[in-house]
Amino acid sequence: MSFQLSTDAQQDEARITLGGELDAAAAPQFKDAIEQVAVTSPKRLVLFMDELAFLASAGLRVLIFARQKLGDVDIYVIGSKGPVLNTLKMSGFHQSVYLQDSYAT
Amino acid sequence: METLIVPASLNNLTDIRNYVKEAASAAGTSKEKLYQLQLAADEIATNIITYGYSGKGGEISVRGEIEGDSLTITLEDSGPAFDPRVRELPSEEDLSKPLEERAIGGLGIFLALQGVDQFDYRREGGKNVNILKVFLPKLA
Repeated sequence: MSFQLSTDAQQDEARITLGGELDAAAAPQFKDAIEQVAVTSPKRLVLFMDELAFLASAGLRVLIFARQKLGDVDIYVIGSKGPVLNTLKMSGFHQSVYLQDSYAT
Repeated sequence: METLIVPASLNNLTDIRNYVKEAASAAGTSKEKLYQLQLAADEIATNIITYGYSGKGGEISVRGEIEGDSLTITLEDSGPAFDPRVRELPSEEDLSKPLEERAIGGLGIFLALQGVDQFDYRREGGKNVNILKVFLPKLA
């Protein structure tokens, strides 16, 4: 399943929707998206992961990059489940982001 | 299973994960173990491509074997000797640090080693041999 990504930056909030398989080959696209939304200096980064089926460490490293690039923004991870959620927890990332099942749009 | 041999490119990670999926399906592993094994193989292969061959190319071979109560996925490469088991892994303290204080390295090997039931490495004939093993559910 190939990787899909879409971005939507509005006011103080940047939204990125991730789908498919986020491996080391796809991670640069995610990193580019972070750089793209960083231009708008968002206060919140909302990552929709409902459709993300695979998450490798390269994707986790982009989350670290996002924190460095965007500074002290609140990072929300929406809809992650199963093994993707398990990877976030195993690596301790769940302590640094807001994990939610859904997000008011 | 027939051995998969692919050029060491990140674009071939999908093929490696698909091969692992076929092997895991043939072995009858749970969905959870399948994912963990795919993740482990993906992380080891990524490490080989990125650091072992340093992006200069080479080949990775992947072989799946069902033996008794276990499924083994073996990845081989001809890069410089590297035993993932000696890589310093993130400690509990590291894993609880906020993102801004996180070190970038070590996460991939950590996920690979955590995800399988047994991980072995040997250097053999000028090759790195990474052996990932999961135990299969016992049939009633």
